[in-house]
Amino acid sequence: MKFSKRGAALVATGIAGAMVLSACGGGSSDSGGGEGDSGSGRVIFGESTDFPENLFPYIAAGNATSVANLLIRVLPGPYVVNPDFSVDWDQDLLASEPELDTSSGQVNTYEINPDAVWSDGTPITAADFEFTWRANRSSDPADGGCPALLGTTGYEQIASVEASGDDDKTVTVTYTTPFSDWQSLFGNLLPAHVMDNDDPAALCESITNGWPIADGIMDDISGGPWQIKAENIDVGSQIVTLTPNPEWWGEPTGLAQLVVQNIGNDPTAAVQAMSNQELGVIYPQPQLDLVSQIEDLSPAVESDVNFGLSFEHLDFNTTYGPLSSLAVRQAFTMALDRQEIVDQTVGQFSSDAEVLENRIFFNNQPQYQDTAPDEYKTQNTAMAKSLLESDGWVLGSDGVYAKDGQRLTVQIDTTANNPLRETTINVMIPQLAEAGIEATFNANPDIFAGAEKPTSLEAGGFQAAVFAWVGSPFRGATQSIYEQPQGDAIGQNYSRQGTQEIDDLFAQFQTEPDPDAQAELGNQIDALLWGQVATVPLYQKPTFIAYQSSISGVEDNSTQAGPLWNADTWTVQ
Amino acid sequence: MFFFTIRRIIASVLVLIASSFLVFALCAASFDPLSRYYTQNPRPPQAFFDNLREQFGLNDNFFVRYWNWLSGALTGDFGQTIGGTAVTDQLWGRLWITGKMIFFAVLIAVVLAILVGVVGAVRQYKPSDYAFTFLAYLLIALPTFWFAALLKEFVAGGINDAFGRQVLYTLGEESPGIASYGTPSEIFWDRLGHLVLPTICLALLSFAAWSRFQRSAMLDVLGSDYMRLARAKGLTYRRTVMKHGLRNALIPLTTVVALGIGTLFGGAIITEQVFVWHGMGEYLLKNGIGQNDINVVLGWLLISAVFVVLFNLIADVLYAVLDPRIRLA
Repeated sequence: MKFSKRGAALVATGIAGAMVLSACGGGSSDSGGGEGDSGSGRVIFGESTDFPENLFPYIAAGNATSVANLLIRVLPGPYVVNPDFSVDWDQDLLASEPELDTSSGQVNTYEINPDAVWSDGTPITAADFEFTWRANRSSDPADGGCPALLGTTGYEQIASVEASGDDDKTVTVTYTTPFSDWQSLFGNLLPAHVMDNDDPAALCESITNGWPIADGIMDDISGGPWQIKAENIDVGSQIVTLTPNPEWWGEPTGLAQLVVQNIGNDPTAAVQAMSNQELGVIYPQPQLDLVSQIEDLSPAVESDVNFGLSFEHLDFNTTYGPLSSLAVRQAFTMALDRQEIVDQTVGQFSSDAEVLENRIFFNNQPQYQDTAPDEYKTQNTAMAKSLLESDGWVLGSDGVYAKDGQRLTVQIDTTANNPLRETTINVMIPQLAEAGIEATFNANPDIFAGAEKPTSLEAGGFQAAVFAWVGSPFRGATQSIYEQPQGDAIGQNYSRQGTQEIDDLFAQFQTEPDPDAQAELGNQIDALLWGQVATVPLYQKPTFIAYQSSISGVEDNSTQAGPLWNADTWTVQ
Repeated sequence: MFFFTIRRIIASVLVLIASSFLVFALCAASFDPLSRYYTQNPRPPQAFFDNLREQFGLNDNFFVRYWNWLSGALTGDFGQTIGGTAVTDQLWGRLWITGKMIFFAVLIAVVLAILVGVVGAVRQYKPSDYAFTFLAYLLIALPTFWFAALLKEFVAGGINDAFGRQVLYTLGEESPGIASYGTPSEIFWDRLGHLVLPTICLALLSFAAWSRFQRSAMLDVLGSDYMRLARAKGLTYRRTVMKHGLRNALIPLTTVVALGIGTLFGGAIITEQVFVWHGMGEYLLKNGIGQNDINVVLGWLLISAVFVVLFNLIADVLYAVLDPRIRLA
């Protein structure tokens, strides 16, 4: 049978025509263009976490890395967290460095820049600080609070926020009890004139609804160099286009548009899109293949590995038989070669990877001290064995210690489908075997579930676990991890271990407004935590940024400030 | 025909309700939408957890939860995501994106499958048959993600290099924001450039299996008595094959294609992931299972199941059209 050439041509034309029609067909909303006289060019940032459903940062639905990235230069805050983890006052929002007065309790004074205005022209004043405090101070409706709030830490300790000075540009914040991490507050300043409501119930409703992504930020308000207009949010294609804020009083943005496109977490898609120049900047979870493929694109693409605010650690459940003994926990820790663990995991990404020897501070924080006792710094199998023997454990013929008929076996749980953690545990297992401890790997899908799942951290049905804490340079929040459990109320102390001395020091740590004194207290606490060895810090997790070399000004900020922390200064050739 | 359709629809509704109950039970037992907040540091206040439990209905008995969902779903309200957006609003957008992705792919795949299947059967064991057979098995054997990666690397890379500018794209439906700065013709070529690779990827992979069905169905028909009779009556070979052969050989393919399309509406999961199209497949995996969001999973299930049922019905109707002997009463 033969098909005529004409028939084949018809079919081909039909299909091509159909595709052409599809390309013509709409489906994505029109996006408004860049406005303002500042900047030229556009950069597309590939967001690899998710596309947010809500942009209000203080509630569960807006509690996402993608939201933090979008808002970092939209909602202003009094402090900037730098890539080196230091904290500086924001010279755009404020006119001078905030003052701290501890002569009677704690009082902070902020002087707002006289030029600072919201994008609708309304001046940024003390009323915005007062409103941000009032919106965040309580989660109890009976107290005028809102249960949808993700946290009230710090704000709940404020007694008053008062305005004074010319045009209410001076803010005086008075605390009922001192709060050491006061610099972390007001990080996303809320516009009082847009959101405020005298009725707490109505305000709570407004907070609970937040800013659904399809509607954008209320009134498209911005107090930073970038502005997110609702018309520039394309929910279907998962793209948000930031344009310059026409009322921005600081240095104009270098670009006319910053486009944030959700690209998902498929590493191959990210590499090929970079190679094909469809993306300007990416900030994916680092994986070995991804890093090496991106490095192959050099010099057209530049990249950088850093170490961020998330640290992996090993938690012992001190209510589990053998691990309730301090000697066993000490021996376990001595048996580990943590340098080898780092070399086999994050060390593969960068030669800068280090063993983390502190739970309170990160390696790259100025406050960091190596507080680990010498016996834990290197693998110490002989000492581990003798310690176990002095605790009554006897080495069995199978090479595993036993005591009163119970073999020294520990199952180490971790999250499912996490290659980095799996490798970590698989490196540990033979190290522990050398010291007569039998360890096994277990991927536990319920590890982070609530107490109703028996094997969760919350329920305490695990023996040991490897997982990460995600922090910030403000370390007061770590209190709930290391404070003694009060009955069933364990806070986040999943190892269920603690001492009164540590609790007392934490109480001071939380209320010491002097940064140097607080750093000293933090390191003292960590030294005491090494005495308990209920948790063993392992390493900070890496971050990875890659960008087209035609874009200038890109610098990773591996803190919560994220890769877009200075996107207003980027320029493109 | 009418009663047949009604009967099928009623049976399908019962199947949908039963499957939604099973999936609801499975999700309710395994999902914990609060899990990501327990290890949030600082830990959210207890009032936050109590509020979310109430909001997600986690304090209610399982059957009450299911009834609440079902009674809403029957009125077209699939509830809210854990982020507070109406599932119904999201589903239509996702369905539109998946629809755009698969429509032309299916069209191309069907046309190619019929052409190649018929040619393979008519010229059985000729070089062209061997070549198409080899190609079909090669495509069937290729994992989607790898085939897509090859297309991006070599087809997109090669064509873009040859033109010295971007003609084909590997990510999304259009260049972000092009609607704001592009001319109509730029927007048109941009969208077409985004559509080509996912369409080729889906079309070739679907075509490969379908062409085998078409070939074997055609071979069956070609060997049948009525074909010989038609030839004996003096009809041309071409007319015999087209009029008597192809029409009958299309019946088995109709079932396969209809089922395939119905399933594709549930999401061409890997293709969507690789080409970053935010369609139904991604919705199930990321927004549903990834976020432990029971309303999203069930919304996805119902809509995908409706498409499977719908295309089965279409297949049944097409049987009757293709084979006048079949009358469904």
